[in-house]
Amino acid sequence: MSVLWWGRGAAGFRRALPPCGPALVSPAGTLGGVCGPRRSSSANPQEQDQDRRKDWGHVELLEVLQARVRQLQAESVSEVVVDRVDVARLVPCSGWAQRLEKDQWVQRMRIQQLKANLQMQVQSGEFKVLPKHLQVKPQLLSKQLAMFLAPESSWEEQLPRVLQEAPRKLSLDVGRAPSTQAQLSGQQQKLLAFFKCCLLTDHLPLAHHLLVTHHSQRKKQKLLTLDMYNTVMLGWARQGAFKELVYVLLMVKDAGLTPDLLSYAAALQCLGRQDQDAGTIERCLEQMSQEGLELQALFTAVPLSEEEQATVLKAVHKVKPTFSLPRQPPPAVNTSKLLRDVYAKDGPVSYPKLHLPLKTLQSLFEKQLCVELASKVCVVSVEKPALPSKEVMHARKTLQTLRDHWERALCRVLQETKNRLEGEVHKGRFSLYPFLCLLDEREVARMLLEVLQGLPAPGESFTTLARELSARTFSRHVVQRQQLSGQVQALETYYRKYLHLLASDTKVPNPCLPRQYWEVLGAPEALREQPWPLPVQMELGKQLAEMLVQATQMPSSLNNPHGSSRLVPVLYHVYSFRNVQQIGVLKPHPAYVQLRETAAEPTLTFEAVDVPMLCPPLPWTSPHTGGFLLSPTKLMRTVEGATQHQELLETCPPTALHGALDALTQLGNCAWRVNGRVLDLVLQLFQAKGCPELGVPAPPSEAPQPAEAHLPHSAAPARKAELRRELARCQKVAREMHSLRAEALYRFSLAQHLRDCVFWLPHNMDFRGRTYPCPPHFNHLGSDVARALLEFAQGRPLGPHGLDWLKIHLVNLTGFKKREPLRKRLAFAEEVMDEILDSADQPMT
Amino acid sequence: MWIPVARLPPRLRLSALAGAGRFCILGSGAATRKHLPARNRRGLSDCSPQLLPEPDFRNPPKKASRSSLDFKRYVTDRRLAETLAQIVCGKPNRPPHLLLECNPGPGILTEALLEAGAKVVALESDKTFIPHLESLGKNLDGKLRVIYCDFFRIDPRSGGAIKPPAMSSEELFKNLGIEEVPWTAGIPLKVFGMFPSRGEKRALWKLAYDLYSCTSIYKFGRIEINMFIGEKEFQKLMADPRNPKLYHVLSVIWQIACEIKVLHMEPWSSFDVYTRSGRLENTKRKEVLELLQQKLYLVQMTPRQNLFANSLTPMNYNIFFHLLKHCFGRRTATVIDHLRSLTPLDARDILMQIGKEEDEKVVNMHPQDFKRLFETIECSEDCAYKWLYDETLEDM
Repeated sequence: MSVLWWGRGAAGFRRALPPCGPALVSPAGTLGGVCGPRRSSSANPQEQDQDRRKDWGHVELLEVLQARVRQLQAESVSEVVVDRVDVARLVPCSGWAQRLEKDQWVQRMRIQQLKANLQMQVQSGEFKVLPKHLQVKPQLLSKQLAMFLAPESSWEEQLPRVLQEAPRKLSLDVGRAPSTQAQLSGQQQKLLAFFKCCLLTDHLPLAHHLLVTHHSQRKKQKLLTLDMYNTVMLGWARQGAFKELVYVLLMVKDAGLTPDLLSYAAALQCLGRQDQDAGTIERCLEQMSQEGLELQALFTAVPLSEEEQATVLKAVHKVKPTFSLPRQPPPAVNTSKLLRDVYAKDGPVSYPKLHLPLKTLQSLFEKQLCVELASKVCVVSVEKPALPSKEVMHARKTLQTLRDHWERALCRVLQETKNRLEGEVHKGRFSLYPFLCLLDEREVARMLLEVLQGLPAPGESFTTLARELSARTFSRHVVQRQQLSGQVQALETYYRKYLHLLASDTKVPNPCLPRQYWEVLGAPEALREQPWPLPVQMELGKQLAEMLVQATQMPSSLNNPHGSSRLVPVLYHVYSFRNVQQIGVLKPHPAYVQLRETAAEPTLTFEAVDVPMLCPPLPWTSPHTGGFLLSPTKLMRTVEGATQHQELLETCPPTALHGALDALTQLGNCAWRVNGRVLDLVLQLFQAKGCPELGVPAPPSEAPQPAEAHLPHSAAPARKAELRRELARCQKVAREMHSLRAEALYRFSLAQHLRDCVFWLPHNMDFRGRTYPCPPHFNHLGSDVARALLEFAQGRPLGPHGLDWLKIHLVNLTGFKKREPLRKRLAFAEEVMDEILDSADQPMT
Repeated sequence: MWIPVARLPPRLRLSALAGAGRFCILGSGAATRKHLPARNRRGLSDCSPQLLPEPDFRNPPKKASRSSLDFKRYVTDRRLAETLAQIVCGKPNRPPHLLLECNPGPGILTEALLEAGAKVVALESDKTFIPHLESLGKNLDGKLRVIYCDFFRIDPRSGGAIKPPAMSSEELFKNLGIEEVPWTAGIPLKVFGMFPSRGEKRALWKLAYDLYSCTSIYKFGRIEINMFIGEKEFQKLMADPRNPKLYHVLSVIWQIACEIKVLHMEPWSSFDVYTRSGRLENTKRKEVLELLQQKLYLVQMTPRQNLFANSLTPMNYNIFFHLLKHCFGRRTATVIDHLRSLTPLDARDILMQIGKEEDEKVVNMHPQDFKRLFETIECSEDCAYKWLYDETLEDM
């Protein structure tokens, strides 16, 4: 691992070189780059003081390390000289040479180790050490503002003065503040997402660098919005870095923008962290009220985490010790006429109480949490297992070897790409670097390999694949984020309390609807991350797909792996021509597909969100909270890439959505289980030759075959044309059969997987208000077979005419009495009741 | 030069009387005359498949084009008709071929052909002309047959029910008593006509698919096609690396499949153009002006005997088409770049086999080079998987 680290660090240095100029090519130069700001003469003595105060504990250590590095560097320079002399003269004295060599080696190792240590600390963010080439100081267009850059007084006193400065170019700022994301151009969306992502991945100096470089060029400055400045400011505020925060604030003013609530929240947060005296804070608050911004709104309108809110409050309390947080308004109630009865206060509330005790539900919750944390589920395929013949075993082994190989190659390519993209940012350009840093390299590599495993033989459209990849990345990132920020623990606490409402053996004092109960529990509105803008999604997906194409290679002839065969790519960019359109498709090598088929691996891998839940879903409380525990779920399904509906939902008053949210929650809370007897029957058919009449698709071996596969070369063209037509027909049928079979395979495998479980299907809706279960493969929307596999986990006795309606339904399914009234259908059911019962007892005869 | 026509639309009669043009061009406006049966409106804007009665959901029908560029062209000049008859029928002492004449219209050329001794089947898609055409063949003991049929809609590729004037070739040829002959045998019959002014490209594609797959009319052998084609399309059809701007997929496909000869050239300026608002004299519309600058070429396209001699066959022609479409999708790129996404084989090796440099550009490849390239890959023996092509990549 340390070797890897070192490699990473070294790569970083190499990249750092060009902007530093030729003078810094020696190792001394590169190291100087790392600890530059500390030694640079431009640094303000005050700043150093401040820094020293801040990370007092580490500074000492750092200085010692630096001193040692300098010492070693001095030695290594002389060593280079000696080396040169050595080569030139070809000194015969071997003992001396050996000692020298050994010394050199030891020194080199020491330098390496020191560098690695330094690098490690830099990376882990322990020190705020910026590489020299990252710009910190902004270049301001306004000279008056530029005076602030070389202050006579401390940075703390600067802040209120900067805030008081009237923004430049007043006329501009009205037209320049697009309110929603949709109004931003693609480039702006990308930039904003970049800054946000940098905050998440601890690449704040990079974000600052990009902001400064954009700000310093008139053309690019137009792209920047207040949101972007605020984002970077917030990042500095979290770190308590005052100087940088003032820099950003200066840029805001310079760009002619007026700081808004978010900016003030960031400033106050920073002041709170710095433990500043009251004077600065007071002036800050004064300025705020002068601009017509309310102090209360700081805590209601700005999305801050609890810890951040506390810090801001600490700062405010210094000035106004009596200030208290605004009270949460009482939960509003939907006022729609249609729903009046549902939300009436007095009547008893009807919500599905589950049949399971609290203990069971809690253990189920644990299980589901594990599934979602792993973000994938391996399911045993119900396909008839292939006999473990020599051939099969060989194929499996080959596949495994290839995969191991690919994983390593992918990690390498990922690393290279990251390095390249980081360089792009250093040059002041947007790149995907922080997005690629969100997940661990190995995890990304495994995710890509899963996609490769699932790639269908005819290929997948490149854009679809890209979208899929970025969606998977996002979902994994969201899960991981929640895990790291302790939201999972919070969720666990609240969910356990919430289960008291649903469990059969517990009672809550004021029963209400699940959503209302969840709101009463006061679970904090989790800071769910907004999905990335479409341009970023597509670019990231494309980048990932491209890496997969680059990294995966296999020997051209798989059968003789020992022979010297050249490596060929596994994936190919091909094009499909539809009318005048040209559609890019990513297609796997036919030999790879063949290998996959031969190996016939017995497991299927699903994403966690494609499998029904093992515990009751979270109640829907807002357009983005509900459904799965951790994975992001959409309230409203749409065509890919549409964001307008999301914005409309955000701006919609929460009470207006209550009807929809509660309806979905009720549906999702219905518990299901698998009808084992039907599943047994279906599987029996499925593993034999299938039965299309009964809705069980046949295996590919049943596909029609053309009469003769090959014609001699001399056959007449017309005969060949005929054969081609027949072949095409057969292939068409085979493809259709394949897709039916695959759909059934997923459904039955999941059914088998969940055979002895109770499970839940979280629901969402489309734009018309039709509701759908979120897990796509196994749910109650489907053919007769699909529905026959399911039953309610909690049976209820039939009503007075229930059995009659069942009989009528049965006759309806036969289709015999289509034109008859219900009475006659019922009579017919009675008439053939013996046969019905018989077929229920012996379905296969 | 008055022609006895039973029931001609007034515009047409006008042009015939004026005698100014050697062709008559019937604008779509004429088709909107009341006395024409409604169905013919569709028939007149001829073969463009988007107007097929069958709904085709894959390519949603565009709005029926009613612009003044929708023409129907007929030969009305007797002298021209005689020239053409001479050209098409060849030397008088040879036994005449059976001739399918597409959309003969007023039948002036038909007469000339009959006089030259040819056996003619007139495939007319406009019912208006049929009685007159039938009257032409009355005393010729079966040398002329008139069938209500649109040649460019024989065996429509969209499938579905076939309604006249669309027809199935099987039925048509059975009626005419034409037997299948092997590909390597002689030419069973000739076709004479004009490509529809709007759908030249579409018609060429349809014929190309039929030819390479040996279906539709080409099931019956190497049918020779003599067609008038617009100058622009003609230049594209004949283009090769010497004028790379016009060089495209159809040029390669047709130059490989057929020997193409230019038989005659007729300037558009000798035409009268009629639109809905009457005779077009001085127009300012750019497209029309451009069209009038053009010439019409009569080309003879005879399928090559050795087309299927090597490994290109009706079994794998679609891969060949895919290769061409792929290559011309980015024509300035090198062939080797394209090959990498067409075949898993070693692209460099293949190029070496056909004797091309590695940096050969697509537009520098001659049509025969493409065929050789395809056949080299198809014949290579060192790998079981020669192509990345898949039937699903193509929609037909």
